[in-house]
Amino acid sequence: MPAPSGKLNLIEISVLLRGEPERIAAWAGQWSARRLALPVIVIIVGAGLYGAAMGWWRDPQQAFYVAIKFPLIILLTTVGNALLNAMLAPLLGLNIPFRQSFSAILMSFVIAAAILGAFSPLLAFLVWNAPPMSPEAVSGATYSFIKLTNVAAIAFAGAVGNARLFQLLTRLGGRRAVAFRVLFAWLAGNLFLGSQLSWILRPFIGSPSLPVEFFRTTGLRGNFYENVFHSFLQILQQFD
Amino acid sequence: MNNQNPIPPIPPQVPPPIPPVMPASGPRSLGDDPAERAAIPNIIVAIEAILRQPRRVMFQLRQPGAGWLIAAMLFVSVLCSLMYGVVAGTFSGGTQLWAAPVKIAAGLMISALICLPSLYIFTCLGGSQARLVEVSGLLAGLLMLMTILLIGFAPVAWIFSQSTESLAWMGTLHLIFWFIATVFGLRFLETGFSHSNARSLTGFRTWVVIFMLVALQMTTALRPILGTSKTFLPTEKKFFVAHWGDCLKGHDEASKSESQ
Repeated sequence: MPAPSGKLNLIEISVLLRGEPERIAAWAGQWSARRLALPVIVIIVGAGLYGAAMGWWRDPQQAFYVAIKFPLIILLTTVGNALLNAMLAPLLGLNIPFRQSFSAILMSFVIAAAILGAFSPLLAFLVWNAPPMSPEAVSGATYSFIKLTNVAAIAFAGAVGNARLFQLLTRLGGRRAVAFRVLFAWLAGNLFLGSQLSWILRPFIGSPSLPVEFFRTTGLRGNFYENVFHSFLQILQQFD
Repeated sequence: MNNQNPIPPIPPQVPPPIPPVMPASGPRSLGDDPAERAAIPNIIVAIEAILRQPRRVMFQLRQPGAGWLIAAMLFVSVLCSLMYGVVAGTFSGGTQLWAAPVKIAAGLMISALICLPSLYIFTCLGGSQARLVEVSGLLAGLLMLMTILLIGFAPVAWIFSQSTESLAWMGTLHLIFWFIATVFGLRFLETGFSHSNARSLTGFRTWVVIFMLVALQMTTALRPILGTSKTFLPTEKKFFVAHWGDCLKGHDEASKSESQ
């Protein structure tokens, strides 16, 4: 096995995707601006390309906005929960330093972003073949299909990223039970913050009846979970 | 005939010893690892130790001069709760930016002070050999662990404070964060007591319920922490469950008028 180099080469992303725990664990232990730069670049490019494809159906300007917002959500979630995740790991039995927990989470997002980046041409092709976004298209099967495709692609990328993170945590902690506990706690925290950030930074796919904009003017009004709760109540009221 | 089968000697009627909570083959005793015996020279090391080497903190609390460590842990608790309070205060802004941190820090310290005597009594009843200084130290450790975890939650709390206007929702969110932080803190406390030859943790668990109730009531006694009011402290006395009910009712009415 070659000794880990001081920087993460683009070719070495394949090592991340293959999930070679020894090399990934060695990288996670290193901490320098150069080592952090490439993961950040991969996230910006990969998630940015996917975001552009997602927003393109509404308008090229929407594509540009989502290309900025999508990587932003990933990076803000990583930074926003960094301290909490670093505290939770030792408390749940995995005694790793802050930089290692931060690098581990960043690497799982790199894997997800690389997968999303690879899917972006496919999504762009799908959008290119779809009829222009209009109220009819939004109410029909096309919109649902595009939405579900996005959900499937993002879910797949997230699942692979977390599977690799689990392998890395098992390697670092030595026990699967500890790795599972830490992964579960990290996932819960990241999903909680990530959902709200996505809510604030909406829209992504866009709507034909609403203007193209970076933020909705109502972006900071209400939160994701309140909205889900009210939707749930509305559904229940249908049965009254 | 009887002489051929002598009666075996009757063992003395001594009750069997009550086993300690932790079996002998269980966790090692404190200080077995040389790393646990390393002194804690400053606050940063204390924070690091309570997260990564809680046994080191427990061992140091048994050594002479543990007062410094207890004072340091209390100082960190006050500082962190003040910082978290500022984040909580950003929900309403204005005077709550200083009132919320003061109330959260004071509420936490008063709750601990009120519960310390009962903690000592319950642990003694459970057979623990811990001295009052050690019990105080473990309680200070609980507070420090709780509040530094709350600092970890602070960015998430801030994001939600800026993007929601629902008092009930923000109250619930802060309670969830407080609950998670308290669970980790109590785990530290329980581990500490399990190393003090306690025969039973029933008393300790009873105390946990008392501590939770006191802390929850403190949020009502010192209200408003999130919302606004003309007075610094409430003029009406309420039980926390009744206060929560009123908050949720208010939220429900606001939602209805919004939808109309």
